[in-house]
Amino acid sequence: MSIDITGVNKLFGDFVALEDVNVSIPTGQLTALLGPSGGGKSTLLRIIAGLDTADTGTISIEGTDATKLPPQKRNVGFVFQHYAVFKHMTVAKNVAFGLEIRKKSKKEIAHRVDELLKLVHLSQFAHRLPSQLSGGQRQRMALARALAVEPTVLLLDEPFGALDAKVRKELREWLRRLHDEVNVTTVFVTHDQEEALEVADEIVVINDGRVEQIGSPDELYDEPANDFVMGFLGEVTSLNGNLIRPHDVDVTTAPTLAGAVQGEISRMLRIGFEVRVTVLTDDGQEVQVTMTRTHARALGLEEGQHVWLTAATGATTVPTMAAV
Amino acid sequence: MTSALATPVDRPARTRRPVVGTSTLTRGSGLALGIAMTWFSLLVLIPLAAIVATTAAGGWEQFWRIVTNDQTLAALRLTVGSALGVTALNVFMGTAIAWVLVRDRFWGKRILDVAIDIPFALPTIVAGLVLLALYGKGSPLGLEWANTEMSVRLALAFVTLPFIVRTVQPVLEELEHDVEEAAASLGAGRMTIFRRIILPSLVPAIAAGAALSFARAISEYGSLVLLSGNLPFKTEVVSVRVLSFIEGGNTAAAAALATVMLIVALVVIVAVDVISRRVARRG
Amino acid sequence: MVREPTAVRWLLRIVVCAYVFLLVLWPVSLVVAHTFENGLASLQETLADPEVQNALLLTAQVAGIAVVINLVFGVTTSILLVRYEFPGKRALSAMIDVPLSVSPVVVGLALVLVYNGQDGWLGRAAESAGYYVIYDTPGMIMATCFVALPLVIREVVPVLTEVGDDQEQAARSLGANGPQTFWRITLPSIKWAVVYGVVLSLARSLGEYGAVRVVSGNITGETQTATLVVQEKYLDFAQDTAYATSFLLATASVLCIVVVSLLRPKESST
Repeated sequence: MSIDITGVNKLFGDFVALEDVNVSIPTGQLTALLGPSGGGKSTLLRIIAGLDTADTGTISIEGTDATKLPPQKRNVGFVFQHYAVFKHMTVAKNVAFGLEIRKKSKKEIAHRVDELLKLVHLSQFAHRLPSQLSGGQRQRMALARALAVEPTVLLLDEPFGALDAKVRKELREWLRRLHDEVNVTTVFVTHDQEEALEVADEIVVINDGRVEQIGSPDELYDEPANDFVMGFLGEVTSLNGNLIRPHDVDVTTAPTLAGAVQGEISRMLRIGFEVRVTVLTDDGQEVQVTMTRTHARALGLEEGQHVWLTAATGATTVPTMAAV
Repeated sequence: MTSALATPVDRPARTRRPVVGTSTLTRGSGLALGIAMTWFSLLVLIPLAAIVATTAAGGWEQFWRIVTNDQTLAALRLTVGSALGVTALNVFMGTAIAWVLVRDRFWGKRILDVAIDIPFALPTIVAGLVLLALYGKGSPLGLEWANTEMSVRLALAFVTLPFIVRTVQPVLEELEHDVEEAAASLGAGRMTIFRRIILPSLVPAIAAGAALSFARAISEYGSLVLLSGNLPFKTEVVSVRVLSFIEGGNTAAAAALATVMLIVALVVIVAVDVISRRVARRG
Repeated sequence: MVREPTAVRWLLRIVVCAYVFLLVLWPVSLVVAHTFENGLASLQETLADPEVQNALLLTAQVAGIAVVINLVFGVTTSILLVRYEFPGKRALSAMIDVPLSVSPVVVGLALVLVYNGQDGWLGRAAESAGYYVIYDTPGMIMATCFVALPLVIREVVPVLTEVGDDQEQAARSLGANGPQTFWRITLPSIKWAVVYGVVLSLARSLGEYGAVRVVSGNITGETQTATLVVQEKYLDFAQDTAYATSFLLATASVLCIVVVSLLRPKESST
C-alpha cells in the first residue's frame, strides 16, 4: 500500500471535518475521494499532503511515517483546484520551481521541463506567463509542475472543478491516459460521481467526515453499502420500500408477476431517446421510471394509464431508511 | 483494506465556525512576532504610555489647570473648530472630487488625480511655504491670509485634501451601474438615485475618510509653522502650544495637553475601526 | 449607463478643478517659479551652502535608515497579521494605525520623555551605556520611523489578503522551505505593494518636520535636517534658499509618488 491513513480525526473549532478515517491507497493506482462538498474529502487530501495536520491518527507514505513531516519533506505533488500558479513566473519557470528548490543542475532542469511540457502539450507556451493561458492549460501546467519533482504520490484537489463542462470532460480522459503513462500513485478529490466512475480504479466515498465505502467503480455501483452511496452514485427512486435505479424498474400493462406494485402514470416526459415516467402508486407514492423511447412506444404507455411495477432481474436495490 | 461502514442516522447539522483566539504561530513566526512587538513597544507603546504616565503623575488638579488655561482653551477651540469646519468642507469637496475622478472624463483628469496626492507627498513645512506663495504677503489673488485664522483653515484643508477622496474613490468605482439603471428603470430621477441608492453606499467610506481627515487636522503642525504666525489667542493651534511648552521646559504641561490629543485620536481610531468593520460586513 | 445632466457634470467639473487648482496646483507652481526666477542660480547657490548640504545629507541618512527599518518591520508585521492567528491580533492591527492620528509634536514629546538622558525611563540606561538617543541621530530615526510606521503595512496587508496563500502552499508542496517560499513566491507577489509602501514612507520620512524638530535639538550643521533648514532660512529672510530647498524636497517626494503611480501595473490578473 502506498498511503496508509489510520485513525485520522480532525476538528475545525467544533466542526467535525474527519471522524476516525481509515483508508489504504494502493500503489500505482488512480484513486478518487468522492463525496458531497463539505464532507471532508479535501481536508483528508490536505492532511496527506501535510498542508493541514490531523488532530489524531497517522499517515504513512510508502512505508515512512509522514504524520509529523512538513509538506516540503513529503515529496508529494499537489494540484490545487484554482491552479495556484505562480503568477510572476513563466510556464517553464513554474514547472522548474521544484527542481530549482532541489538544486538540480541547469541542464537537468531544462531537459526535464522540456519533457514535462511535451507531456502536457504546453511546449509552445513555455515562455508565456500563466495569465496568457486558458484555465485548462493552467491546470495542465500545474500538473506538470507537480510531476516535475517525481513525487511518490500525486494529489489533485478537485482538479477540474473550476473548468467548464467541455474542458472538464477532455481533461478527465487526458488525466486517465496520463496516469497510465506515468503510473504514479494518484489521489484526486471530486464531488462529481461521473468523473470518479469514469476515471478512477478505486473510489473512496466520504460523507460527513466518514468513509462510507471503498471499492472499484463497479463494486460501488452494483453493491452500494448503504442508501447514501446508492443515492450519490446515480439517480434513485423508491419502490416497495427499496431504493432502486429508475432504469431498473420494469413496467407492465397487465398484472403478470406476483408482488407487482400497482399504479397510474401521472406524468410522462420525453427527452430525446429517453422517456421519464412518473407513476403514482395506489398507496400514494411517486415512483420514477426511465426507459427508452422505443420501449415506451412498444408498451403503448400514456398518461392516466394503469401499470404494474416490478424490480428488473439483477437490479441493485437497497432498503430505504425512514428519512429518505 | 479497511473501510468504516457507517449508517447515516440522525447526524446533527454541523457548521464551520472560525476559530478565534487560538494561535497558529510556528517557532519562526513566533520569534518574528516577538521582535516586531518589542520594536513596536519601544517605538510607540512605551513612549505614548510615558505621556499618560507623566500626566497622571502631575495629578488631576494640575491637569485641569493646564487644560483650562485661557490660552490653551483658545488653542483647543481654534484647533477643534477649524478641524471640524475643514472636515465638513472635505465631506462635500472630497466626495465631489472622487465623483469627478470616477465618473467624469475630460482632458487633464490625470493631472487632477496626481494633484490629489501632492498634499500627502509634500513635506508639511514645504506645504506651508507653498500656500504662503499664493496666500501670503503680496498674494497674486489679493488674499493676504497669512497670520489670520483663515490661514489655519487653509493649511488644514490642504493637508487633509486626499483623505476622503481616496477612501470614497474605490467604493465609487466598485459601485455597480446596473443598480442605478435598475433604479432608473423603476422611475427614479437622478436626485432620487443619488440620495437613495448611491449615497447610502458611500456613507461608510465618507465617514472613514472624515475621521482620518479630522484626526490629521487636529494634530497638524508643520504646515502651520510658517503660515499662521502662531499668534497666541489668534492662530495658535494645540500642537504649537504643546511645542512651546516643550521648548519652555514645561514637560508636565506638554504631556497633559498631549494626553488630551491622544484621547481624541483614540476616539477617532475606534470610530474608524467600527465604521470600517461595518463596511466590511456590508461588502 | 445613467448619466447626470450635462449642466451638473460641468458644474461639478469646474468647481472641483478650480478648488484643486487654487489649493494645490497654483501654489505649488509658484514655488517652482520662485525657485527658477533667476534661472538655476539660486538652486546652485543653495546646493553650495554647507548648511544645506549637511542637512540634505542628514535627511537622506535618517530617511534611508528609517525606511529600511519600516520596510522590514512592515513586511514582517503584514505577513503575521494576514497569515497567522494569535491572541491580541485585532488589538495589534488597530494599534498599527495609531501613528497616523498622533500629532508629530506629541510623537517627539513621547520619545523625549522615554529616551532623554536625564530622567527618561530608558534614556538614562542608554546614555550610561554610551548611546545618545535624543538630540542625536538615533532619536531622529526613531521619530521618523514612528510617523511613517503604518504606511508599508497599509499597502501590503490588502494585497497579501487578496493574493491568498495557495501559491505559498503550492511552493511548500513542491519542497520549498519557509525562507525559499518567502523570497521566491510571497515577495514577488506583493512586490508592487511593497514598492508603493516604501515610496510613501520615503516621501513621509524626507518631509518629517515636527517630530524631528522636538527630538533633534535643531543644532545647525549637526542635527538639522532639510525641513528644519527650510524653516530657519525662511525666518532668516533667506527666502531664496528656503524656496530652493523646498523645491528639492518637494521634487524628491512628488517624483517618487508620480513615478511609482505611473510604473505600478494596473490591478490585473497578471
